[in-house]
Amino acid sequence: MIRTLLWLIGGLLLGGIIHIVTILTLPRLSEETTWTRIAQLDARDRMVVLPPIGPGNPNPLRLDPELAYGLCQIDLSQGPAYLSGVLPDAFWSVALFNEAGVVTFSTTNRDGIGQTVDMGIFNAAQTRLLAQQQIDIAEGLLVVESATDNLFALVRLSPPHAAMRARFEAELAEISCGPRD
Amino acid sequence: MRFVLRLLMSIAVALSVGFGLSYYALTDGRFFGAVSLGPWTAWPDIGSPAPNPYTSGHITRDAALQLGRSEGLQFVASSDSDGAPLDLACSYRVEGRVPVSTFWTLVAVDADWVNLAAPGTDAALRSSEVVRLPNGALRVHVGTRLRPATWLELAGSGPFSLVLTLYDTTALSSFASTAMPSILKEDCA
Repeated sequence: MIRTLLWLIGGLLLGGIIHIVTILTLPRLSEETTWTRIAQLDARDRMVVLPPIGPGNPNPLRLDPELAYGLCQIDLSQGPAYLSGVLPDAFWSVALFNEAGVVTFSTTNRDGIGQTVDMGIFNAAQTRLLAQQQIDIAEGLLVVESATDNLFALVRLSPPHAAMRARFEAELAEISCGPRD
Repeated sequence: MRFVLRLLMSIAVALSVGFGLSYYALTDGRFFGAVSLGPWTAWPDIGSPAPNPYTSGHITRDAALQLGRSEGLQFVASSDSDGAPLDLACSYRVEGRVPVSTFWTLVAVDADWVNLAAPGTDAALRSSEVVRLPNGALRVHVGTRLRPATWLELAGSGPFSLVLTLYDTTALSSFASTAMPSILKEDCA
């Protein structure tokens, strides 16, 4: 009886090890991730407005049907990237995602930015260079440091009424994204 | 013979505990990375730049565009306040107060996250569209059958989930209490 109990405890311990290994390795083993899904959108260095989600439509990225979404893929190995433009006077937010689908930075227009999106995204080396060479930074430019070179920016914009959606999406598409010429 | 039986039992226990616990941790998630408030569940660490391993696994499994910490928080309910699974054959009432937020949206989805709003209606209900009670609380009717006042009209049959997304919210922050509305079953077809 005691021996059976010991085998049972051994099984439980082994189960705990399997559990920990599964949880820690799952993000690396997954074949379909947020990154692979957005890679199909052809959004490299340009703002792509995602199609609205209607009743009955598939929604793999789990978007909120009330919001308009603009997405832009960025590669910082070619230089810093900039996100700039003016958005309508309504709630909007910007989030930066890394390849694991983790939000590494996010802000909303309630953080005192108003209607203007003006963001410079730098990797660690570029931020260091910026500090060492004491390069003047344009007033109002929000400097964000990214730990990885590959990332994507997602702008969420909330039209207060459905009738305003088309105009809001057009203004969202006007946001420039990518390296500065 | 007894040794082989014990070995097989031990392996069976290890596999079912290991993979069963992992599946539970990444779906329901209570006691791991998720927080439950009545029928509502949220992953508070999901918008953090360094999420815990359980939340990282959940992010990978969802492969969705999650909300950053400053953007908001999403709550999902698959059962009513009495613990019974939500079913499109029944009508429900979402009642109470929502944590402080700039605005919120309520949508109904199936297991594949397909929106279940009736064709031709709004896919989501927004906080500004809600008719409130005299005391400021909200009352939203959810279901396939006609209801008065604020009604999230759905179509179809089978189980579903309600998704309440709070934008720019104080929910689950240390300086505000997070009271969520209850989901009450009215009647079933």
